[in-house]
Amino acid sequence: MSILLNSDTKIICQGITGNQATFHIKRSINYGTKVLGGVTPGKGGGTHLGLPVFNTVKEAAQATGAKASVMYVPAPYVKSAVIEAAEAELDLVVCIADGVPLKDMLEIKSVLKGTKTKLIGPNTPGIITPNQANMGIFPENIHTKGHIGVVSRSSTLTYEAVLETSRAGEGQTTVVGLGDDVLIGMDFVDILKLFHEDKETKAIVLIGQQGGTFEEAAAEYYKSLKNPKPVIAFIAGRAIPFGYKMGYAGDVITGGRISAQDKKDVLEEAGMIIVDNINDIHLRLKEL
Amino acid sequence: MNIHEYQAKKILNRYGINIPKGGIAYTPVEARRTAARVSSKGPWVLKAQIQSGARKKGYFLEKKTGNGGGIRTIKKRTEIVKNAEQMLGSTLVTIQTGPKGKTVSRLYVEAFSRVEQSFYIGLAIDRVNAALTLLAANTINEDISNLAINHPEKILRMPLALEGKTNMAQVKLVMEFLRLPKKCGNSLKRLINGMHQMFLDYDAAMIEINPVGMLRTGALVALDAKISFDDNALYRHPDIKRLQDDYEASDRELLAAKYRFTYSEFDGSVGCIVNGDGVAMAAMDLLAKQGVGTACFLNVKGGVDKDKIISGIKIIMTNPRVEGILINILGGFLRCNLIAEGIVSAASEVGLNVPLVVRFEGTNKDEAKDILTKSKLPIIMAETMEEATKILVKSMEVND
Repeated sequence: MSILLNSDTKIICQGITGNQATFHIKRSINYGTKVLGGVTPGKGGGTHLGLPVFNTVKEAAQATGAKASVMYVPAPYVKSAVIEAAEAELDLVVCIADGVPLKDMLEIKSVLKGTKTKLIGPNTPGIITPNQANMGIFPENIHTKGHIGVVSRSSTLTYEAVLETSRAGEGQTTVVGLGDDVLIGMDFVDILKLFHEDKETKAIVLIGQQGGTFEEAAAEYYKSLKNPKPVIAFIAGRAIPFGYKMGYAGDVITGGRISAQDKKDVLEEAGMIIVDNINDIHLRLKEL
Repeated sequence: MNIHEYQAKKILNRYGINIPKGGIAYTPVEARRTAARVSSKGPWVLKAQIQSGARKKGYFLEKKTGNGGGIRTIKKRTEIVKNAEQMLGSTLVTIQTGPKGKTVSRLYVEAFSRVEQSFYIGLAIDRVNAALTLLAANTINEDISNLAINHPEKILRMPLALEGKTNMAQVKLVMEFLRLPKKCGNSLKRLINGMHQMFLDYDAAMIEINPVGMLRTGALVALDAKISFDDNALYRHPDIKRLQDDYEASDRELLAAKYRFTYSEFDGSVGCIVNGDGVAMAAMDLLAKQGVGTACFLNVKGGVDKDKIISGIKIIMTNPRVEGILINILGGFLRCNLIAEGIVSAASEVGLNVPLVVRFEGTNKDEAKDILTKSKLPIIMAETMEEATKILVKSMEVND
């Protein structure tokens, strides 16, 4: 088992003819991911990497039966691309681009509310289910199949967390990068829920960072669970001095709770296992 | 991107929000002239234009500056030049600037407003609820930063629509929450609508008016104003981008920004080069645990352009504070060999006279290690991030 993505998930790629997309989709296909086609407006009817290219997501979804999209479109076009995927009623959209404007994300989130489409990202390495499928830019060679679910808000620390599971002699069910941005699609609570329901997942590694209140929401959710699976959590950013900022509105929104130490405290109180050093994760995993 | 108070006020004023009469001054003589223009009798307010809150409670590093903070109310005309002399060119430290403070290059000279009541109002994005949110609070007894932590229930939070105007029921709610008299109803409506519209039109990330003052007539006036813009949307607003104040950033920050890297400076002695803010934070945490602070970190993100990477590495190598360098790269899209080539080129150009520890993982890791070994540069390679920080801290001790 896995969450969100497996070897049967039918995928299209939005922006498939771009350089980045070409490089990563080739790798995804080689990994076994079921990529069935791509979308580049104006290039419909042609082929790329041996896959059919369509003008719209709707056409691509109808022709291929795809239910998910990984998009490599540049930030200014992300809003229309995600909304198009939602209108085509896809289940899952993974958005790799960084630099999506806040207002565009506010509008995306508001549109998605009324649909069944789930968004991962933006500014994320994506999702990978080892030995099955890769929707994103993960270095596949560090992943192995196993029983640990990994969810991370920091892109590159996701890789570090994966390496830690290997050091513990374990592998991963699914690895999800939530994205580094101020506003993101699915958050810790959404992914923890899925890992909690997934039979293969025995334990979860959670990587948070200072800023926002996603970790606080995760703590609330975790507290509400009966028989929760063990979660090992690391929060980056304790050494960063606070106060290099402007205005108070951020503090007001979060009630002042944004430092890494605050987050660590609420997660610990909720019953998660906290590590101060990311390279200690494998030690705690071995103890489980 | 942040802008100065006077720039923020100008923009808000275009949206129908009242501001006190004021003008900018770069010299004490200009301050006197501007003061005469904005009010014949005074009092006047001299306001240091640095991008920070809490300027009034701030202090100057220089001795000549007297006891006043970064915002001074002046009653006598003759005191204007003296105070302007003290403030201009001096370094103002506030709780938001960090201990180094910021140099005051210009003053905003305003006519003093006599107000009956004042309050806080802000617009920001609630990340978990993904909503544009209006914040309002009475700040007579306690300032907003304390309220946020100790009495969040005393702050109104109200989601606003992503198009159209704030509706009348919402304005009424704000009025009741702040217990404002009826006479300021119209002015409050104009204030909230103005902020709301401005936020959406200009892709703001935060607007804060702290405080809003109520005049005897009921008219509301923005006594201060802060606006942050969404960096990711600046491409849609060239007029805002032009307001960027290069004096507020160091040369190294500007250089890094040119290459689309993120670069931050702190008070320690280690320079870090990483690909990801999370990795940067984790590395800083590990160094801090061993009692060593970070001088700066450069996040090269998913960079693929070798020339840019060389320039980035040089930023770190030439920072005089840096006594040791930690390079931690987890290659995904970014290929490790590219960083290795960048290190070798940068070192040959500017020299390498501090310990350098490198940890590579992921795409093209072995190729990268090979490049460094062949370069014969005194570079140490580590297997994990923790090991890398430990080796670096030890080498720095030996170097002493």
